[in-house]
Amino acid sequence: MVELDHSFSTGKPTDYNWDAILDLDRLIPCVQGGKVVERTSPTAAKAEIKVKMGAMSMTFAGTVEVVEQDDEGHRALLKVKSREVGGQGHANADVAIDLNDGGGTIHTAAQITGKAASMGEGVVVSVLDGLIKDFTQRLGQI
Amino acid sequence: MAIPPGTYTLGPGDGTLTVRTGKAGAAAKAGHDLVIEVTRWEASLEVGEGSAGRVALTADARSLAVRSGSGGMGSLGDEEKASIAQSIDDDVLKGGTIAFRSSAVEQAPGGLRVQGDLDLLGATRPVAFDLDAGDDGRVTGSIRFKQSDWGIKPFSALFGTLKVADEVEVDVDATLPVE
Repeated sequence: MVELDHSFSTGKPTDYNWDAILDLDRLIPCVQGGKVVERTSPTAAKAEIKVKMGAMSMTFAGTVEVVEQDDEGHRALLKVKSREVGGQGHANADVAIDLNDGGGTIHTAAQITGKAASMGEGVVVSVLDGLIKDFTQRLGQI
Repeated sequence: MAIPPGTYTLGPGDGTLTVRTGKAGAAAKAGHDLVIEVTRWEASLEVGEGSAGRVALTADARSLAVRSGSGGMGSLGDEEKASIAQSIDDDVLKGGTIAFRSSAVEQAPGGLRVQGDLDLLGATRPVAFDLDAGDDGRVTGSIRFKQSDWGIKPFSALFGTLKVADEVEVDVDATLPVE
């Protein structure tokens, strides 16, 4: 299990940010290489992410679901479950988003197995950190 | 042996010009050490009696072809090799100038000692290398340099955790044409 904390700033009102993070059609493409494959309910989607490593890439396909939602406190918990396409690995994560004025914090608890994990926890942490930092920058643009 | 006096023009039909790259960054294990061949280049070698001489080389920055990759996560197929060549074109060399011109050439044991200026993408820096000559007319030489010294930002991916190492090696291995 890898746990990471990030904060972000969008410069937009909390209500705007709250609507944005709960809209999976807008949120998922904020992850580099991420796309919605199919909306399965207002709070869930089938999605995939293609992680490019130069010429090589790994694709994970699975589900993203808002499993907890506190509209007053502007806190949400998203559960990501995915499997490496054409491989044996998994990438699962609980992503807790807590909004405050003009931005918020993200706590990510991820479990990565398979080829990606075989590179070592330090590598997984570095890549996830880069992925989430990139995500927080894109959040400011939705 | 010493290179016989004369003027020689060399190209891909006479040998290979090869770039070797390594990898760096936290996720270096996922990357490949690459052997990349420059498929369009031309060199001229003028060797005079005694110390006089000149060496020049130009290469087409859009002619690099990935020949092999070692290490890394998974093996490189034709599609990945083509993708790397595309990235070299689009993100690194961008079809810029690659040219070397000697400023001093000296006879040295087993070949020539060459000093000169290497122009990469419009930035020019001095380099020096030995050209070793064999009895069979084979000449070999090698230089290592840092891309950043020429203002080139090494290619990086995976949020900067996987990079091409700044230092690259360029090797020439050719046989002098018989006059």
